[in-house]
Amino acid sequence: MELSDANLQTLTEYLKKTLDPDPAIRRPAEKFLESVEGSQNYPLLLLTLLEKSQENVIKVCASVTFKNYIKRNWRIVGILVEDEPNKICESDRIAIKANIVPLMLSSPEQIQKQLSDAISIIGREDFPQKWPDLLTEMVNRFQSGDFHVINGVLRTAHSLFKRYRHEFKSNELWTEIKLVLDAFALPLTNLFKATIELCSTHANDASALKVLFSSLILIAKLFYSLNFQDLPEFFEDNMETWMTNFHTLLTLDNKLLQTDDEEEAGLLELLKSQICDNAALYAQKYDEEFQPYLPRFVTAIWNLLVTTGQEVKYDLLVSNAIQFLASVCERPHYKHLFEDQNTLTSICEKVIVPNMEFRAADEEAFEDNSEEYIRRDLEGSDIDTRRRAACDLVRGLCKFFEGPVTGIFSGYVNSMLQEYAKNPSVNWKHKDAAIYLVTSLASKAQTQKHGITQANELVNLTEFFVNHIQPDLKSASVNEFPVLKADGIKYIMIFRNQVPKEQLLVSIPLLINHLQAESIVVHTYAAHALERLFTMRGTNNSTLITAAEMAPFVEVLLTNLFKALTLPGSSENEYIMKAIMRSFSLLQESIIPYIPSVITQLTQKLLAVSKNPSKPHFNHYMFESICLSIRITCKANPDAVGSFEEALFMVFTEILQNDVQEFIPYVFQVMSLLLEMHKNEIPRSYMALFPHLLQPVLWERTGNIPPLVRLLQAYLERGANTIASAAADKIPGLLGVFQKLIASKANDHQGFYLLNSIIEHMPPESVDQYRKQIFILLFQRLQNSKTTKFIKSFLVFINLYCIKYGALALQEIFDSIQPKMFGMVLEKIIIPEIQKVSGQVEKKICAVGITKILTECPPMMDTEYTKLWTPLLQALIGLFELPEDDTIPDEEHFIDIEDTPGYQTAFSQLAFAGKKEHDPVGQMVNNPRIHLAQSLHKLSTACPGRVPSMLSTSLNAEALQYLQGYLQAASVTLL
Amino acid sequence: LPVMSKQGEHMKKFKNKGKDTDSLRRQRVEVTVQLRKAKKDEQILKRRSISFSVLGQSLSPGEDKRDEVIPLSLEEIAEAVNGSNTKLQLQATQAARKILSKQKDPPINQIIELGIIPRLTEFLGRSDNAALQFEAAWALTNIASGTSSHTKAVVEAGAIPAFISLLSSPHMHISEQSVWALGNIAGDGPLYRDALISCSVIPPLLALVSPATPVGFLRNITWTLSNLCRNKNPYPPLNAVEEILPVLICLVEHEDKEIISDSCWAISYLTDGSNDRIQIVVDTGILPRLVELLDRPELIIMTPALRAVGNVVTGTDEQTQAAIDAGVLAVLPRLLRHSKTSIQKEAAWALSNIAAGPGQQIQQLITCGLLPPLVELLDKGDFKAQKEAVWVVANFTTGGTTEQVVELVRSGVLRPLLNLLLAKDSKTILIILDTISNLFLAAEKLGETERLCLLVEELDGLEKIEALQNHDNNMVYRAALNIIEKYFSGEENPDLQPGTDQDGLYDFSVEKQDFDF
Repeated sequence: MELSDANLQTLTEYLKKTLDPDPAIRRPAEKFLESVEGSQNYPLLLLTLLEKSQENVIKVCASVTFKNYIKRNWRIVGILVEDEPNKICESDRIAIKANIVPLMLSSPEQIQKQLSDAISIIGREDFPQKWPDLLTEMVNRFQSGDFHVINGVLRTAHSLFKRYRHEFKSNELWTEIKLVLDAFALPLTNLFKATIELCSTHANDASALKVLFSSLILIAKLFYSLNFQDLPEFFEDNMETWMTNFHTLLTLDNKLLQTDDEEEAGLLELLKSQICDNAALYAQKYDEEFQPYLPRFVTAIWNLLVTTGQEVKYDLLVSNAIQFLASVCERPHYKHLFEDQNTLTSICEKVIVPNMEFRAADEEAFEDNSEEYIRRDLEGSDIDTRRRAACDLVRGLCKFFEGPVTGIFSGYVNSMLQEYAKNPSVNWKHKDAAIYLVTSLASKAQTQKHGITQANELVNLTEFFVNHIQPDLKSASVNEFPVLKADGIKYIMIFRNQVPKEQLLVSIPLLINHLQAESIVVHTYAAHALERLFTMRGTNNSTLITAAEMAPFVEVLLTNLFKALTLPGSSENEYIMKAIMRSFSLLQESIIPYIPSVITQLTQKLLAVSKNPSKPHFNHYMFESICLSIRITCKANPDAVGSFEEALFMVFTEILQNDVQEFIPYVFQVMSLLLEMHKNEIPRSYMALFPHLLQPVLWERTGNIPPLVRLLQAYLERGANTIASAAADKIPGLLGVFQKLIASKANDHQGFYLLNSIIEHMPPESVDQYRKQIFILLFQRLQNSKTTKFIKSFLVFINLYCIKYGALALQEIFDSIQPKMFGMVLEKIIIPEIQKVSGQVEKKICAVGITKILTECPPMMDTEYTKLWTPLLQALIGLFELPEDDTIPDEEHFIDIEDTPGYQTAFSQLAFAGKKEHDPVGQMVNNPRIHLAQSLHKLSTACPGRVPSMLSTSLNAEALQYLQGYLQAASVTLL
Repeated sequence: LPVMSKQGEHMKKFKNKGKDTDSLRRQRVEVTVQLRKAKKDEQILKRRSISFSVLGQSLSPGEDKRDEVIPLSLEEIAEAVNGSNTKLQLQATQAARKILSKQKDPPINQIIELGIIPRLTEFLGRSDNAALQFEAAWALTNIASGTSSHTKAVVEAGAIPAFISLLSSPHMHISEQSVWALGNIAGDGPLYRDALISCSVIPPLLALVSPATPVGFLRNITWTLSNLCRNKNPYPPLNAVEEILPVLICLVEHEDKEIISDSCWAISYLTDGSNDRIQIVVDTGILPRLVELLDRPELIIMTPALRAVGNVVTGTDEQTQAAIDAGVLAVLPRLLRHSKTSIQKEAAWALSNIAAGPGQQIQQLITCGLLPPLVELLDKGDFKAQKEAVWVVANFTTGGTTEQVVELVRSGVLRPLLNLLLAKDSKTILIILDTISNLFLAAEKLGETERLCLLVEELDGLEKIEALQNHDNNMVYRAALNIIEKYFSGEENPDLQPGTDQDGLYDFSVEKQDFDF
């Protein structure tokens, strides 16, 4: 591509077309540009256009296209690969770097921004080595006196240097910073001084001031970046200049710079906020050097706080400023700056209290954006808010001055409460602030699970609760002063571990009552508070609040909870649903009378939300609640399972048919639970579904696998005979699922769960023809890609098989696959790896299985396998006595990651659909050690003399000692 | 990508817990790039010039009082030096020396440009004229005390052999002046240091050390010896070190503070290296003396002694043990609480390397009461010291046994550690996050995960870790995310413990163990 007018013309045409709303015109043009972007001179044509085109749209379009082109192509990734060639030739690169800075600086702002971005992308790759004159070029522009140009340079510098704020220290990075400092620090300092001077000469010129303050903000940001990694020598030497000027700027005000906007921060606020950050950086990292300046900054920042208004636009500045004070006041060597009673009082009065006030914006959020309000207030996503900053300052001050601060605040709390009492409907915000103040003063440590865990002992929380919180909650109207209601409920919630139980019991009916409040925040808080109270632990690990204590309230609680779900804005309120779940779990059988109505409401809800599942937590608790209803009811009356099936199956069918992916794993879990409730043969309705469960499409989704395996296991437990007789043609499909699972390193254990159930429950003759294939599959996996997890599952399985079919059958089927296979598996797998088996039941299965191999397998006594007899016994004793071997080879750390194909709906396990641990050995063997002793005894009776001689020749002494212990315990001797 | 490979290394450090403790020991960072101002009291000067202010206490035997130096212009100096009149030569050399002895910015470059250095070097050989030898030596000393290129000008004029032979001058003030000059040359860097060594500077230098040597002279010798030990890449030749060490061992026992200080510096240089270098020093049995010196109130002694001991504990487990046996753990608490932040930092660095050792060394660290001052430092120390303290905790949690880690948590380390998540330093944050992971591993072993979760949350750690999920540094954000996902995401699940459930319903244990999503 030549730099010709014709080409410029063509390019202009195509650029114009890329702006066309019609995709039929736009797309081909974009394609064309992409196809020519590898040509030499293409970027230079773009630069020419953005500079010289007659049309402004083309200029802008060319600049955006250029920026994107640079973003895509400038970086050369390692050694060039075939399909990722270097699209920008060297001469173009040189030309771009030679021209872009002056071009950027002479362009109008819209284009300047694009080019500035492009420069920082190029800079990230080429600066400093391959672009040595960039800095000088930039610095030279400082002399221009044109602040449009200067701001362009500063903005570019900022985007080049801001990575110093987060990158790790390295010689390479520091070399670059040093280079930057050498070239940039002095000119920047001079520019800083000059700009400040200009600010005073232009103190009456609003438009000039705006430009100058934009420069100052950028300069302050650059200061932060350049000083971040370490305190540079230059800045240490020039600290006086910088800090004195920063200090002056903090105290500066100019009417011309004040903005009318209430929300958006103005230049003055942005600058002061950045200066607070700079001071905080120095205070944290360069304390020793910064010490002489710090007191001045404390005073300035505190004055700033006192004089700054309540508008939202000041929020960032105020919270930054307060955080600065908070971080300084807890340092021992600055304690003296705060300890004067007057200082403390004035900080409390002028900084903390005003910033704790409930503002119009908070009120708006409370009413119109309650979800956001709750998230901030309840879940602590309030890190940048004023209230939060004020709270942190209280806690910081309390580190050294808990007594005085508590004293000062008590005065404020009392006077605010008095104000409130005079005229509640006007002054309710005073009470809100009082409650907030008490809360922040009293809470020293807090968790979601327990609320406040450490409280300020100087605050009498119970007294405040009884005198000021309860009265609000007892008032006749639940809808009056909703903010104060929410405050009161929150108070109960967070101080639940400090307030005595009898007070909590008094509160419960009040909370239940507030479930009816119209305000979303209020009824949500009420639900959440109840839920939290119900999880509290009393003595001996039972709940603090008992079902008996709740007896009088069961009906009203359940009614109000479900009614709350019908209040506007709360139809999928997760807090309410969680409270429902928790109430069920606490109340247990006392909910049974209400179940018919409850399950109807839950099913309707389920049906409604399944149209468009959007609240995962809500949905999860809803299914948990369904599970609880089933468990609790069927525990008292097993026959009730039928009525649940009747109520639920219709919705379930719809969910399955419509393939509601989020819900399917839940449905399988609930079905498993229901099926396991049946005592007799599996109902027909389940059998009708059986073939569908084997559909490969279901098994492709990771989230379905655990609950589906669980469900199939339930089918096998309850209906193995039915499957064998009525669905024998589905057995290969069932085993196909097993094969699919076993092929995956991530899911193979699930495959084994299924296989174990098949072996345990299916009538032997129904799987006879498949047994050999099963083993071959397993051996293939063992040979090709064994992992520790696989081996553990494999060991459990073959021992289960041995228990079920006998040791001889195991040996025979192994050896029928390949001669001497049995010996090989013993020697290479069982003996060396058995120590890795984990889990009580698993270990027991292995112990009993191995005992059988030792004592009920004739080939172990009189073939070449005999030499493995003692090592196997030794391994078994090891399994009994040695600590588990939990080492995992290094290369296995990442297996699951590479095996999980992309993100899929994760499996959400329902706690209340939990499966009891199943022990297939069960009562058959109680104590596997004794069982071993008895079995050995039996063997020795059958062939007297052999066993003791095998023991004495090669069993190690320690193992022998253990074995003698077992024999003694079983009161047998070996013949 | 360099970032990735660094991460790889990092993972190696922390993944295989306790397997690779050697790699946890952190050598003194080779500072090739420095942004900060060099702190004068933390280093002795590589070069020293002789100004008038040093004179009073120094070698010159009342020279200036004897005859007033006649001030000359640079041209006159050049002319006289190059001339043949001995008296004028002396006067000019004296005048040059005087100009070079100005305290502030002596005009070394101009003197070099006069081209008189070869002549001055020549004068060093004029054993017939001690005064001229002395003045020339002094002038050259001050030239060599300048920048590298200044030193180079002196060396290239052939001054090395001339000065070395002057070491044996019958005039003590001349040999002392030569010691000084050679010190400046040696301090320039490994190249000239080794040039001196290969010109056999050591034997005549060591020969000057005797019980009769005046203290002032001995100070100079010690300083020059320290410069002969200084610098790595390469280290000074082994045989040179072996020659010097026995004398250093004697000097470190001297009662003069400066002699002790400089000999400690020398030892600190010799230990700043690979383990075999450290071993040579350890074998001299010097460690108890060094530890004793750690307890001295004078900063000029404590600083280099701490550096030396700090270097030793970067070595093997055995070398570290030798330092422990010498009693270093008993003095470290005081040093960690020292008012000088550079001492805190250096002490914490040393401690971090002891914490990188095997379990029994960590145990000794606990037994000797290092945990309380560590927690204090972490809480209230200067930022540089806090960073080192974070390393101590990181190494401790990597190599310590579960019981030791429990002890650490009991000592209150968690609160200040979590507070430091607000540090404005990505590396520190990352190390803390890794440490938190280590703590969780220990908690898992004890079945105390939930308690640790609560503790972290109570101390406002959770919200800090959550906030770090938005950090600009990729590794930091990933580490934070990892912790949140692993320990804090199932906020509901620990809640669902079957405390209210009499059925033993909470039973997915088989799945749980192997379940990996």
